[in-house]
Amino acid sequence: MELQSKYRTLRDVPQLDYLSPGGSLCAGCGGLLAVRLFHKVLGKNVVWVNAAGCMTIMVNYPLVPLKSNWLYTAFASAPAGAQGIRDALDILIKKGKIPESEDLKVVVVTGDGAAYDIGLQSTSGAIYRNLDFYYLCYDNQAYGNTGFQVSSATPVGSSTATTPATPSQPAGNIQKRKDLFEIWRAHNPPYIATLSSSYAVDFLKKVEKGSGFRGPKLYISLAGCPTGWGYDPRETIREEKLAVDTGIWPLKEAVEGKVRHTVVPRALRPVEEYLATQARYQHLFTPTKRIDVIRQIQNDVNSYWEGVADREGFDIKLVET
Amino acid sequence: MIIRVRFHGRGGQGAKTASRILGTSCFIEGLNVQDSPVYGAERRGAPVTAFTRISDEQILERGYVFDPDLIVVMDPTLLDSPAARVTDGIRKKGVIFLNSPSVTHITKQNIASDFRLVNFDLTNAAMEMLGKPIISSASAAAAARLIGMVKESSLEQAIETELEEIGLSEETIEKNVLLGRKVFSSLEPVELMTEESSRELKIAPLELILEGNGLEDITAAGNSSVSRTGSWRIFKPVVDYEKCTACTVCYAYCPESALTLRQDGKPVIDYDNCKGCLICYRECPPKAITLEREVVAF
Ligand code: SF4
Ligand code: SF4
Ligand code: SF4
Repeated sequence: MELQSKYRTLRDVPQLDYLSPGGSLCAGCGGLLAVRLFHKVLGKNVVWVNAAGCMTIMVNYPLVPLKSNWLYTAFASAPAGAQGIRDALDILIKKGKIPESEDLKVVVVTGDGAAYDIGLQSTSGAIYRNLDFYYLCYDNQAYGNTGFQVSSATPVGSSTATTPATPSQPAGNIQKRKDLFEIWRAHNPPYIATLSSSYAVDFLKKVEKGSGFRGPKLYISLAGCPTGWGYDPRETIREEKLAVDTGIWPLKEAVEGKVRHTVVPRALRPVEEYLATQARYQHLFTPTKRIDVIRQIQNDVNSYWEGVADREGFDIKLVET
Repeated sequence: MIIRVRFHGRGGQGAKTASRILGTSCFIEGLNVQDSPVYGAERRGAPVTAFTRISDEQILERGYVFDPDLIVVMDPTLLDSPAARVTDGIRKKGVIFLNSPSVTHITKQNIASDFRLVNFDLTNAAMEMLGKPIISSASAAAAARLIGMVKESSLEQAIETELEEIGLSEETIEKNVLLGRKVFSSLEPVELMTEESSRELKIAPLELILEGNGLEDITAAGNSSVSRTGSWRIFKPVVDYEKCTACTVCYAYCPESALTLRQDGKPVIDYDNCKGCLICYRECPPKAITLEREVVAF
């Protein structure tokens, strides 16, 4: 039986904020919204271990929005930093130097650059050591902080600063995203989930659910990025929601390795609806429509959901290509 | 003779591109030019500065423009942003161009008395032409017209060249050309009384930058609210409490924590720090949030 969640509607979004306004991130940043919602569930006693990335500039010395604690590490080493903090806390508690009530939740926060590329090795190490921590990756699908260069989370067809659409490479990026969820799952942590702030209740429930496990709790949150993706900042929720409703961003979790999709669109919307709204995909529509690339993206989405529907036993209406 | 122009905009408004278009249009006229932007660590919406130097001789000067002949203020709310320091170093009889429907609020500012002021509502023109408050071409057109050394055809060519380079569609470029033309023909050149640099480097005391408030204690958690990122806004979301159903959707989705809920569940917006992303406006189910153009510096 599923435990009852505290979160059933948007009205249940906790009303305490552990972030002050006034940070330096872009207006409308989906990554910041993910951090804010995540923090609401975990409460005040948190130490964030932040790998280099957009969230770094949340803090603009000496001004900091966080009302909790923050340790800034190099790109590759946030999970190692988390291990150090976790160990120190455990020892202090064991020796009676701090009461258990002052224990902190250790949370790594990174962008996809650190999570998929530069910090994958140290993350793998931390999961392997069964470190008791949370890992939140806000996935804006490129190196947003340095000007939107390609990362191994960048989807096929996206143009980035380093994979622009050119006459010889008209699709922009041609590499497929790494499947970080499955890479993590192969390490057998107790809890993994994907998130999108646009499905905020699903988001809150998953953070709450993960809290019930000791060991690595891993989250990949889609992060709408007005600057890099190229849309009006007001559309962040719409973009993230379209990503879910077109099936491009599946919302799922794996409890002790067992995967379950938590939001299943009964009928997928065509990926085109999502792609067309973002500047990073504009070369797929003008001057000529790149039907081949759009179809490839749609086919990938369809075959993903076909497989899932089979395994989890539900019906889903795919988009004809 | 060097003309020094300084653009002050916000990330996303097109200050950098404006300085490039101005530079290129002067280059087409056969002048020597230089242009460069500076960004801080902050992001879209944060103050951005860009410089253009124009001369009929070789330009040996480098770096920031500290003593501009012309300042282009792309967003009037920047006037009161201590971080942006918009009016710093304006020359005697220098010109400040203000993107604003009116000039009244600048007189409240305590700046050197004998600058000259020109204003035009670029944002409105851009909204009409492009449907977006992006004013790179419009600002460049205003500057090009004011300095009086650029023909309309050179400006058009510069807009095309620069916007093509950043990969905009033909249609968007065409609209930008029209916008540039409109602004160009709406203004008159001003006589710039440029003189050689009389630069006096001053290091501003910290309390000046922070308006005498001093810094928050570094150990104070959540002290970022003193930074008043509310000055990043171009549009201001305003709640109509009659229509608001207290559904709390806006609260859930505000990335900035700039909304709090009253006892009755209706939102209160912290205008000191709401960046004006307008997610709340877009998501409010009964459309209880409306927009106001932000023109008055607070
Ligand atoms: S670049 Fe994107 S992810 Fe980074 S701060 Fe800006 S909106 Fe957020
Ligand atoms: S516009 Fe609305 S959602 Fe955006 S920062 Fe301001 S209050 Fe928050
Ligand atoms: S989203 Fe609109 S109706 Fe709902 S609480 Fe906010 S202002 Fe009120």
